Amino acid sequence: MAFREVNSKMVEATVVPGQRLFSQRGAMLAYKGEVSFTPNVQGGQGGVMSMIGRRLANEATPLMTVEGSGTVFFGHGGHHVQVITLTGDTLYVEADRLLAFDGTLQQGTMFLGSQGGVMGMVRGQVTGQGLFTTTLKGHGAVAVMAHGGVFEVPITPQRPVHVDPQAYVAHHGDVRNKLSTALGWRDMVGRGSGEAFQLELSGSGSVYVQASEEKL
Amino acid sequence: MSGYGVPGGPVVHDPMTLPVDDNVNKYTFCVELKGSEWFLQKGKMIAYYGSMEFNGIGHGRLDRLVRTSFHSPLHASDWVVAQGSGKMLLADRAFDVNSYDLDDGNLTIRSGNLLAFQPSLALKQSIVPGFLTLIGTGKFVAASNGPVVFMEPPIRVDPQALVGWADCPSPCHHYDHGYMTGVMGGLRAMTGLGGASGEEHQFEFVGAGTVLLQSTEILMAEQATGAVPQQAGVPGAGGVPGQHGQQTGAPRLPGQLGDLQRRFGL
Repeated sequence: MAFREVNSKMVEATVVPGQRLFSQRGAMLAYKGEVSFTPNVQGGQGGVMSMIGRRLANEATPLMTVEGSGTVFFGHGGHHVQVITLTGDTLYVEADRLLAFDGTLQQGTMFLGSQGGVMGMVRGQVTGQGLFTTTLKGHGAVAVMAHGGVFEVPITPQRPVHVDPQAYVAHHGDVRNKLSTALGWRDMVGRGSGEAFQLELSGSGSVYVQASEEKL
Repeated sequence: MSGYGVPGGPVVHDPMTLPVDDNVNKYTFCVELKGSEWFLQKGKMIAYYGSMEFNGIGHGRLDRLVRTSFHSPLHASDWVVAQGSGKMLLADRAFDVNSYDLDDGNLTIRSGNLLAFQPSLALKQSIVPGFLTLIGTGKFVAASNGPVVFMEPPIRVDPQALVGWADCPSPCHHYDHGYMTGVMGGLRAMTGLGGASGEEHQFEFVGAGTVLLQSTEILMAEQATGAVPQQAGVPGAGGVPGQHGQQTGAPRLPGQLGDLQRRFGL
């Protein structure tokens, strides 16, 4: 039940009975067949505890459950859509960037401070992720929204990737990230390049970068 | 294309290399006039070569043309006629622009999305308020947010994503409140807990034809389609409140914004 990209701003998903899909509320453009859209109180998977966790973490984006049989078209806000297929690894993404994802994926919330302590929290502030981010794990497809086109940059152990925090969309794989600062005396006197903070991703996996520094 | 110097640099167009009645890029459409006329919405022309005249409708000499291919008299002020010879570029706020050919057909389109059309087509108000119908043979240019996708009925479409439809009978409303039934659903409906999915209402199309969808739910500013005759049985002819008793939707309370409010869904 993968997503098919119709064009850069629209994806098509096939829904079959017994399998469900989560999508952002109001993101359905059209559908064929008999499909029902139910607002999801918990904002995703898991029980009430997961819901409370998401609420506290401010990662509770309004989601709805899509069930039935037919074809559904999704698109939202004129944002570009990127389909990411996961094969067992974990995708780290902000909850409000999620357009739709397979119900087979395990949804979780991660505290950024758990990766690198205080620096992780600082990193979250700079990238606009806040203190928490959403994780999706398992086998399935995710449609992620971004402002401007999205491109995938592979990360290999020899080649760490530096990304502007504002252009960072998501990453998956076995990746460590840290905020690298290039603060110098120039920044102190107001003559900085405007690129003092960069997100350094190392390990093996991929990072998705949007062609814009605008947040959603 | 005559590019200046560097390959891969910007393409520089001149009157000869501009396409004839085709897209220059995703956002711009070029129309060639050879003593012919085109109707266009006010303010959608961004540049032109040659000698052209733009006259508001209602200009004396154009009366006959307007009479034959323009059928919404009261919204005539939003349209101009381009006459002359040369090439004219049309665009609208970086929305995607596309042209469509009608061959003895009909197409109904949201009023704000239509940019220009050939006078061989007749423009009429649709019975569905806010939509215009083009009938006949010819070319027209329409804008959309994101590329337009063509779909076959049966299909249910989010109202904001609908651009128009061709050859189908009029759409009807489809309401999907399935999740509001039962005990839990009743609780949900009563308390508002859990929120709404935002997808309770769609337009449903059945039968043979084509439905045009844009890729996002961002609407283009609506253009007035003109008033309809104030007659019993004419949809949208609410007119002066109280005059005909029957007004669409809820009665207007003091302090409400009227049309604006309906447009923004408040």
